[in-house]
Amino acid sequence: MGVTVLQPYPLPEGKSGSHIMDHLGKRLLSLGATHAGQFLVDCETFISTPQHGTPTRAVHVLHNSEYPASTFSIIDNGTGKQVALVADSIFDLLMLKMTSTFTSKKQTKIESRGARFEYGDFVIKLGSVTMMEHFKGILIEIEYRPCITLSYCWEMIREMLQGFLGISVAKEYPTYFTTQTIMNAMGQQQLHAKQNDIYEPMDTVKQYLEHFTNYRKHVQLHGTLASAAGSIGSVMMPSTVGMGRS
Amino acid sequence: MSNSVNISVETTCENQIREIAYDGTELYQPPPTLSESLAKCAARIDFSKTSLEDLKKEEKSAAAAEDDNKDVNQFQESLWPWDAVRNKLKDAYTEICVLSDVISIAKDKRYLVLDPLLEDGDDTKPIVQVYSRKKAISQAAQVLLSGAERLRNAHSEQRSRNISDFHIELLRLRQNWRLKKVSNGAIIGDLSYRTAGSKFGMSGTFEVTKAEDALDEEGAGNSANASTPSSSSSNNGMQPKASSALRVIVPAELQGVAYIKVITQKDQEDLCTAQVNLMGHGPNITAQVGVWQKSLEFAQNVLFCKELFAQLAREAIQLQAPIPHVVIGNQIRATLLPNIQLIISLCHSTSFDSSQPAPINDHDHVLEHSLHQLLREVHYKNSHHPFPHPASAPLGPSKKRMLAGPTAADREALLDMTKTQTILEQIIAQAQHIFMRKRTQYVLDTLARDVKDPQIVSHWNAMNSPTMSCVKINIVTHGYDAIGRTSLVIHVKERSLKCICRDGRVMKLSYEPQELRDLILCQINSHQISCLVSLARYMAWTVLSNSNHLGIGKVEPLGNASSCLLASPNSDRMIAVQIRCDPQIDVKVYIARSPRQDFFPSPLVPEKFWENLGGNFKEVRFDKIEGKSFLNKMEFLMASLTSNTA
Repeated sequence: MGVTVLQPYPLPEGKSGSHIMDHLGKRLLSLGATHAGQFLVDCETFISTPQHGTPTRAVHVLHNSEYPASTFSIIDNGTGKQVALVADSIFDLLMLKMTSTFTSKKQTKIESRGARFEYGDFVIKLGSVTMMEHFKGILIEIEYRPCITLSYCWEMIREMLQGFLGISVAKEYPTYFTTQTIMNAMGQQQLHAKQNDIYEPMDTVKQYLEHFTNYRKHVQLHGTLASAAGSIGSVMMPSTVGMGRS
Repeated sequence: MSNSVNISVETTCENQIREIAYDGTELYQPPPTLSESLAKCAARIDFSKTSLEDLKKEEKSAAAAEDDNKDVNQFQESLWPWDAVRNKLKDAYTEICVLSDVISIAKDKRYLVLDPLLEDGDDTKPIVQVYSRKKAISQAAQVLLSGAERLRNAHSEQRSRNISDFHIELLRLRQNWRLKKVSNGAIIGDLSYRTAGSKFGMSGTFEVTKAEDALDEEGAGNSANASTPSSSSSNNGMQPKASSALRVIVPAELQGVAYIKVITQKDQEDLCTAQVNLMGHGPNITAQVGVWQKSLEFAQNVLFCKELFAQLAREAIQLQAPIPHVVIGNQIRATLLPNIQLIISLCHSTSFDSSQPAPINDHDHVLEHSLHQLLREVHYKNSHHPFPHPASAPLGPSKKRMLAGPTAADREALLDMTKTQTILEQIIAQAQHIFMRKRTQYVLDTLARDVKDPQIVSHWNAMNSPTMSCVKINIVTHGYDAIGRTSLVIHVKERSLKCICRDGRVMKLSYEPQELRDLILCQINSHQISCLVSLARYMAWTVLSNSNHLGIGKVEPLGNASSCLLASPNSDRMIAVQIRCDPQIDVKVYIARSPRQDFFPSPLVPEKFWENLGGNFKEVRFDKIEGKSFLNKMEFLMASLTSNTA
């Protein structure tokens, strides 16, 4: 088990998603990584039947092919509090029985699918995000297996990402790991730095949910960001030397 | 032909004569009038026996009697025939009134309560009772006395051989083995491992009978129908004398003695021999329970060995190994390492040879016990299934697999859960490991014996697994333990070794013993130099340079030379040490002194101070120097070269 970080890859103008995936895959193979199968992370959302007085609650059910025996689910009541659960795969059958309370919104079923590469202690997954057969973007997942705390290996992951992707990755921790204020056991508010926690598989799934939510809502925004970042990326590429890119 | 004759039937109309007058006329009593006859009939009524219909008649007659009462009222006493009837009725009426009164009062329960009457005793005479009781008791006494007589006879005849011993022996048998009685009275037992989880097809039923005694005729007669001890004693009627001990009959294929022989062989020579023998294990209860315990244990052992061998043979055929396993008859050959074979054979001797030679009891190798344990583990897994939580989950997956979902186990963990090893694979792994461990021990021991200068101390872990052991090796020089020691840990696995040095280097070695030897020699090499460097610091000598991998001189077969260059505190002497690892550790020491003695100013180099540049190195005859070990000699050398100018 290791530390996993998700990085959306901005699509440059004029290139298709599959072309970019091939390009990145070839880069990884030339670096020395080995292709090790495919991966799939999907998310299905169930909305509770609206009753007046209570806001509608959403249940997100996610699967990750890296943990084939488990089903992850996150309940999101409208006020922003999330409750997460790791369960056996039989949880899906349970959700089928809950159709009276929760209705499935099939049109928001979103998944990230692609090739999986193993490169030494890293596992890199290049995923193309699709929602109902519409391509949404490219999401790169990188996992550093020996470490279990992000703060120890963030710099190395960042260097690795910058190296083979060719884009600049911000120095700050990803948005999922930002410091939050929580109530501790004494009832006081306290700053909690998530990057020092022991990393769990649930954190990967929560990061995926965060990105999927972004893809669902801000599709256009992502598109414009992608075009802007793509131009920056294309300027940056020739200046970085010795990265072995095709 | 006869004509019918008319017969007339008449009553005798003669009335009773009341009086005969003097003139001969007879005065007949007039026949009773209807009322008189009625009165006569009424007088005949017995009121104590009337039924309901009669009561109704009585009412009518009572009504008629009241009419007559007025007629004959004057004749009160005897001439009023209804008087008796009237009195009887009156009494009856009185009685009934009283009865109804009593009943109503008793119903109230305030003044009168009805209690059952105690029955009067029989009015039989007491003496008759006494006689009858006495007779009954004497009959009972007769029965008891005859029974006691029989018991006493049976007990007194032969104390050690009577029916109750059979029961005691049967009790002992039942305490150790499973028995049951079948419908025809025979006692059948089961000595197989089926209830312990075995799925072997061979049945292990044995029969229990009473032991025959050839000398005793009655015993011979008894043995025919002596399956049920209780029935025999009651049916025969004669006392069964000689049937005391039990006899067990085991099936033919389980008779005899069996054991599994495990041999590790190298090129037709025996390296180590192990024999599985389940006899002699456990406390010896033969003295208590007799011969049948031993024979049953042997039979059970035979069954177990057969099952074990059948399982191993099946796996040997199914498994695909790089060098295929060979199954011939009652022998299985598997290859552990090149030229080293593992031979497992089932030895079953049906002749009871109590003078079996010592090898059976001599070897108690770990492999035999492992085989035994492995099969028992298979039995255990067959009979114990982990209970699912919640109870509605499927029965079958292990507890780890059931928790894999909620704990988000990843793919490698799930793959590991699916890997299982057969008994043959496990025993081969264990045998390989035993062999590797022996080999490693041999290499380390011979090295420790041969290399005297730094001492090689190996500590083997007391706790290890059947497929991995660890040994920690310390290389120290005697007397200089505080200066430095080189440690390394070696993990001995099934076909390879993993060596972890103190500085974090991890090296994987194969099963060749030479590799380990070379590694230790290289470690000794570097140990000497590193200890020398520490020693020089203690002696205030300066370490000018040292190197673990000198690339100079002849190419060595093993590793590289290491070297060290030291300067004295005054810098007037220099020592150069080179250690090589040809098959033996080879030490070369050179000394140089400065200022050099042989400096003469020349036109090219005129100044005098160039003499301080240091002279040639001259070799020291290191083996002639006093000192017990390399470090000792170096210490003396350094001490002698240190000049005591202030």
